[in-house]
Amino acid sequence: MRLNEYTFKFLLLVIAQILLWNFFNFSQYLTLTLLPAMMLTLPHNRSALYSMPLAFILGLCVDLLCGVPGLCSLALVPVAFVRRSVMGLIFGSEMFVRGENLSFSKHSPGKIFLAETILTAIFLLIYIWVDGAGTRSLWFNLIKGGVSLLVSAPVSFFIVYILCSESQTSKWK
Amino acid sequence: MQRKTTVSIVLSAAIFLFLEIAALAILRRSSTLQNIWLNRAAMSVRAALWGGGETLRNHFSLSAQNDSLISENAALRRSLSEYQQLEAKGVESRNSAPRLDRNFEYLPATVVKMSRNSAHNYIILNKGSEDGVLPQSGIITSEGVVGIVTAVDRHHSYGLTLMNYKLSIGARLASNGVLTPVVWDGRSRDGAIAKDIAPHVAIAQNDTLYTSGLSTIFPADVPVGVSRGSKLVDGSTRQLDVRLFQSFSSLRYVTVTIFKDKLDIAELEKKGEGKL
Repeated sequence: MRLNEYTFKFLLLVIAQILLWNFFNFSQYLTLTLLPAMMLTLPHNRSALYSMPLAFILGLCVDLLCGVPGLCSLALVPVAFVRRSVMGLIFGSEMFVRGENLSFSKHSPGKIFLAETILTAIFLLIYIWVDGAGTRSLWFNLIKGGVSLLVSAPVSFFIVYILCSESQTSKWK
Repeated sequence: MQRKTTVSIVLSAAIFLFLEIAALAILRRSSTLQNIWLNRAAMSVRAALWGGGETLRNHFSLSAQNDSLISENAALRRSLSEYQQLEAKGVESRNSAPRLDRNFEYLPATVVKMSRNSAHNYIILNKGSEDGVLPQSGIITSEGVVGIVTAVDRHHSYGLTLMNYKLSIGARLASNGVLTPVVWDGRSRDGAIAKDIAPHVAIAQNDTLYTSGLSTIFPADVPVGVSRGSKLVDGSTRQLDVRLFQSFSSLRYVTVTIFKDKLDIAELEKKGEGKL
């Protein structure tokens, strides 16, 4: 039941991301992304073997509808590749042993924020660098990356909150 | 369990690489800008790989290159030495005295050592018997007479300069052809005395003295010096004060004058003395 709810939210956020990149171009210094946070919230039992192809297809779908095909996939696959490592580093390996998914009731919001910020930073680093294709200066890329991370990290935190929110029954099972 | 983990890591890495390459391929086909950029990056990587390979190959062929450089160095040193010898010969030739007499051979030489501060000054030259120098050969420059070779070894010769009491050369006054021996005055580096001149001989002021040419040491008419004045000695002979043309302060290149038939003449002299 929860899976259906999660999938529904996930698909809605994909559409939100497509709309965001298609119709809300705030500034040339800002790339607002929700995708790394969405990757973070994937169920714990989904290893990189599952999450990487998913990231590739997800990135390709977004790219086909609002960007340069291949660009988003290129940036999102590394996020999926390091996702479990980053989670293990920040939340500890007990999370995987106990079979817990990411949850605001079980994990510190600070740690969740740190994890999604790291993944967002990895995504933005690759995305902005490849998007520039050597035509933009390092300083421009650094400023754009910094600004995008400053805006995307809090928004992503909210996205994680949406995807990881649980009903009262599932919280205490 | 550990093997399973290793397989999983390797598989993840392989899928990661595959997906990244696929994404790059799609990106390359879909965007001209990224296509150019990726081509450039690929070229850079290829160039770096080729450069690295070339560097590695060069590194392992350093020994052969060293051998080649050593041979080249040796050849260059040989050439340099030959050029230096030619240059030295050229300098000696340029600084040598003019060829005056066909009976003499003129051999350019460089002064190896020369003393100036004693009563018995000498000179050592870089040419010896292997170069054709004989004892009792003259040493001259384009300025004037320097001295006489007294001893010779294979590569060097030893001589007395005009700044030596023991040396006396036969000279001739330019104005009247009177012959006179010239010796060092023992005081200055450019002073000499021409003595044993008959008192009735008229001596012109600044009369020039040349070698007489009556010996097998110097050719005739090599300038020796100029008279600065004369005086009567013991009321019987006149003595000339001579300023030598040759400066002994900065002597570097000289010419050795070798009489071509010196050995024949010496033999003839011996025969003549034997008949007496």
